[in-house]
Amino acid sequence: MSATTRASHLVSAYKTNPMSWWLAGLSLAIVASLTSNIYVLLFICVGTLSIIKLCRDDSPWAQSIGFYLKLAAIVIALRVAFRIIFNLGSSTKDAFLLLPSIDIDFGFGNALKLFGPISATAFNFALVDGFRLAAIILAVGMANSLANPRKLLKSTPGALYEIATAISIAINLAPQLIASLSRVRRARSLRGQSKGMKAITGIVIPVLEDTIDQSMGLAASMSARGFGRKGSRSKFQIIGARLLAFVAICFMVTGAALLLFSPDQQVLELSFLFIGLLLAVISIKLSSTRGTITRYRKEPWRLGDAIILTASVALMVLAFGGAFAR
Amino acid sequence: MIQLKDLTFSYLKSDGSKVSETPQINNVNLTINAGEFILVCGPTGSGKSTFLKTLNGLAPSFTGGVITGELKINGVDLLGLEPQAFASVVGYVNQQPENAFVGDTVIDEIVYCAEQLGLPIEEIELSVQKISELLEISDLLERPLATLSGGQQQRVAIASALVAGQKILLLDEPTSALDLVGAGEVLRVLRRLCSEEGVTVLLAEHRISRVIAEVDSVLVVHGDGSVTKGPTATQFNDPRFVPPIIELGLKLGWKPLPITTTDAAKKWNETRPGFQAKVISQPAQEVLSVKDLEVSFGSVQALQETSFSLAGNQITALMGENGSGKTSLCWAIQGSGTRTKGTVSTYKGDTKDLNTAERLEVLTMVPQRAADLLFLATLSAELEESDKYAEVPPGSTAKLFQSLAGRIDTSIHPRDLSAGQQLSLVLAIQLVKQAKIVILDEPTRGLDYSAKHALAKQLNSIRSQDRAVLIATHDIEFVAMIADRVLVLEKGKLVSDSSPLEVLGAGKPFASQLAEISQEVGLISIEQVKL
Amino acid sequence: MKLVISRLSIAIAGLGSLLMFAWPLFIAQSSTSETQLAQTVFIVLMPVTLLLILVEFATGDISSKQLALLGVLVALNAVIRLLGAGTAGIETSFFLIILGAYVFGSGFGFILGAGSIFVSALITGGVGPWLPFQMMGAALIGLGAGLIPQINKPWLTKVYLVIYAVIASFAYGALMTLWNWPYLAGTGTQLSYVAGDPLISNLTRFLQYEIVTGGLLWDTGRAITTSVLILVTGSALIATLKRAATRAGVGRSY
Repeated sequence: MSATTRASHLVSAYKTNPMSWWLAGLSLAIVASLTSNIYVLLFICVGTLSIIKLCRDDSPWAQSIGFYLKLAAIVIALRVAFRIIFNLGSSTKDAFLLLPSIDIDFGFGNALKLFGPISATAFNFALVDGFRLAAIILAVGMANSLANPRKLLKSTPGALYEIATAISIAINLAPQLIASLSRVRRARSLRGQSKGMKAITGIVIPVLEDTIDQSMGLAASMSARGFGRKGSRSKFQIIGARLLAFVAICFMVTGAALLLFSPDQQVLELSFLFIGLLLAVISIKLSSTRGTITRYRKEPWRLGDAIILTASVALMVLAFGGAFAR
Repeated sequence: MIQLKDLTFSYLKSDGSKVSETPQINNVNLTINAGEFILVCGPTGSGKSTFLKTLNGLAPSFTGGVITGELKINGVDLLGLEPQAFASVVGYVNQQPENAFVGDTVIDEIVYCAEQLGLPIEEIELSVQKISELLEISDLLERPLATLSGGQQQRVAIASALVAGQKILLLDEPTSALDLVGAGEVLRVLRRLCSEEGVTVLLAEHRISRVIAEVDSVLVVHGDGSVTKGPTATQFNDPRFVPPIIELGLKLGWKPLPITTTDAAKKWNETRPGFQAKVISQPAQEVLSVKDLEVSFGSVQALQETSFSLAGNQITALMGENGSGKTSLCWAIQGSGTRTKGTVSTYKGDTKDLNTAERLEVLTMVPQRAADLLFLATLSAELEESDKYAEVPPGSTAKLFQSLAGRIDTSIHPRDLSAGQQLSLVLAIQLVKQAKIVILDEPTRGLDYSAKHALAKQLNSIRSQDRAVLIATHDIEFVAMIADRVLVLEKGKLVSDSSPLEVLGAGKPFASQLAEISQEVGLISIEQVKL
Repeated sequence: MKLVISRLSIAIAGLGSLLMFAWPLFIAQSSTSETQLAQTVFIVLMPVTLLLILVEFATGDISSKQLALLGVLVALNAVIRLLGAGTAGIETSFFLIILGAYVFGSGFGFILGAGSIFVSALITGGVGPWLPFQMMGAALIGLGAGLIPQINKPWLTKVYLVIYAVIASFAYGALMTLWNWPYLAGTGTQLSYVAGDPLISNLTRFLQYEIVTGGLLWDTGRAITTSVLILVTGSALIATLKRAATRAGVGRSY
């Protein structure tokens, strides 16, 4: 077996925790977002595409590689085109592309000079920007293609258990609803066409009513199987968690505001954000409602996951550190 | 095991006052022993569902209302507690399994209860293995739920209700949406759970013909608030909700009431009652002609080349298992369904080419889910809309509806009507258009015997107006009651087109209970029996 | 006590999220690396903020009825959204979010908004860096709709709802265009944001950008479809949803 095949077996989509893929995607997106080096960006684009190709399985969400490719290409083209059309600040002297300029006046703000001279630096700049966005999109696309969303929902922390359950219900139900809509539309034709507006109501209401009835039956089945048994949380835990969350949010928003309004205080900004994030994680852990549930199908962490985790964290640290140094 | 003492339950209106003077469940005192297999039955609206729900806390928690008395399960009084408190001892299964699914694959669904109860992982593993073997679904564990048949889904629902080792199982009409095969699978595993695992099974059913021989005792919810329990033979005194075998026994005054086909057959041979020949309406003129009709959905062929015709003054039954193509055939005939080949001609032309107004003159159809046609907020609004659209004098639909369902307060929301009343409403809406051909797709689902009799009466009166009725169903007893002609579909192919005696007679694949009991040629329905 | 803290958290987080959308308008003069840092931070910060607000709404005692109702409405709205997708400016999913939030409250509306966008993205496979922002935008629409006063006059209710729908449609459009503005126009074009410039000049450029990219057209289309759908289905839907609210024991708690 070749080294690449062995490596891909280690981390094939089947056997990797979906969280790892998202961490990897996130770290790559962060690296892409912080760099201006076109080679790094190209490497990320190509790398993510190859990883998708190597590691994906047959699941429906892994089939969007074409979509992401096209989107990446469109994004690069759009960015460059935008720069060419609306360029600012290149003089005819250092132009490498000289196009006749067209004047447009909106009636408010500055009049625009479309096209005109474009310097090589401007063009490069736009190209790098385009590739940056493409790389971010592909990094997220990689995570999406390789991480099983259902498994991801099963591994959510306790505080989000209810929301995750609601979302899983929604994911399971959606295909049924599409069938429901067409069934009701067909049934309406049996009664005769009410014109225009009544038709919309005539389709939405029966489907909505059915859906609501269904939800009651679902709720009964969930409760009858033990959903909603109250775990024991002390008053301290409850209020503490909320207070912590509040403080975390304050830290994060302050950090964001500092980032925007008082630049060149990067250490301060990033530490605020980091503290906020840490506090948020702790508050989520504290908020875990149903301590009484077993997570039977929780996705395990394996060797491959550990490798990806370390690599991702290392990348993120490097990227932010690099941003610092500048 | 389960002890009820002075159990009383009343529904409440939204303003907090009681819905009726007498509580729906009134001072019930009962004991249900461990390992009993009990049939819960009673007339429509009597409160079978409500009674079951009191046994696992869903009433009053989910239904609203007030409950008093004592409800002891294994010695512990659980009255008034939320359903979660019952979850470790009582399992609950409803009619539509796919509506209750939380998970994506079979195993996800099964372990849900164990997860919610916080059982340790090793215990869960063992339980899953055990319960999936018992319910014969071990090979289905990784399958997505959407790919299973109705019977398989229902068995998964049962497994997920019992995975934590619960010893009481409540089932509210679990087979009403299933065909014969699925229903048989479910009953078989229930019997097995009861005898091998000592699970107490309470099964509420409308279709009780096949079940009454299997159960240990019968619990009757009378509708006046009382609930009685006893051996099967002694509980059936009210003909409103009884299956043909009991109706026969009651009609002929047999004592003791035979409940198995063998016993009834013996009794029949001893007494040899007389019977009339089945009255079969002769066809009037032809109203619909189907030639070489074929329906395919992509690579799946739902209906192979089929040809037949329908005539006025006849009720034709279209029989076959789920998936045999009945619904596809109905929709193709109606004209708006997929049609790959063939013609469906009426006196106004091919149904495919008719515009909506013309089509409604020629034929009208009531789909499987009748409620799909209802979209207004009150009963009166629906009735008025129907009059307006069909251009008939105001009140016509209301009159028709009343003849089917009786007097009902018209400010009620259509979704609050019972299944039978909703069907009556949709029937009234569709029939007021006086179309020549009436098609019904599985109308008897969720109807009890009295509602079925009302429907039969209505169909007979349509027939007498020289109109044609086509009814797709797998309800054998209903077909025996009203059909003049039976078409049988098997895997998309029309395998027989003959009189009901041929299809429902003794020894035939769709033999009715009367035919099985009496083994008489020409006898398929209880109406034929002479006192 | 817990409620007050929760609401404060939500308010601050909500306002903070608006900052994460509108940062190009406000960012002080700084090097390009600083703006890159800001952009990067917000890629991570937006989903985190979204999750934190979700936790504020969702922890505590959600009954199975409320949960199931939420799940099925999210599914329905995700499917409805797919019906309208692909046709320019036809946004079918906002009317149910607004009506649902109006009947069930801001918490429900928030989760419904975020959830429908999420689920429809999962179904279509179109998950990208824009997703947390779209989710937050739709969620904020739900949050706002839950604050519309409930009054007994049906025609006035419809007026309120339509006004909200129009404002929300344009606001959502503005937020999403603000998100893609620095990506597509970057810096150095006549329509780009300029760090440190006064708010007015950045806003003017933003408006020109909106016009050029046709954003305003989309927003108008969205406003029209949503308003029409609310006018046509509003009364019947609200009646149905109110019945569901009674059955599920869900109300305007937030």
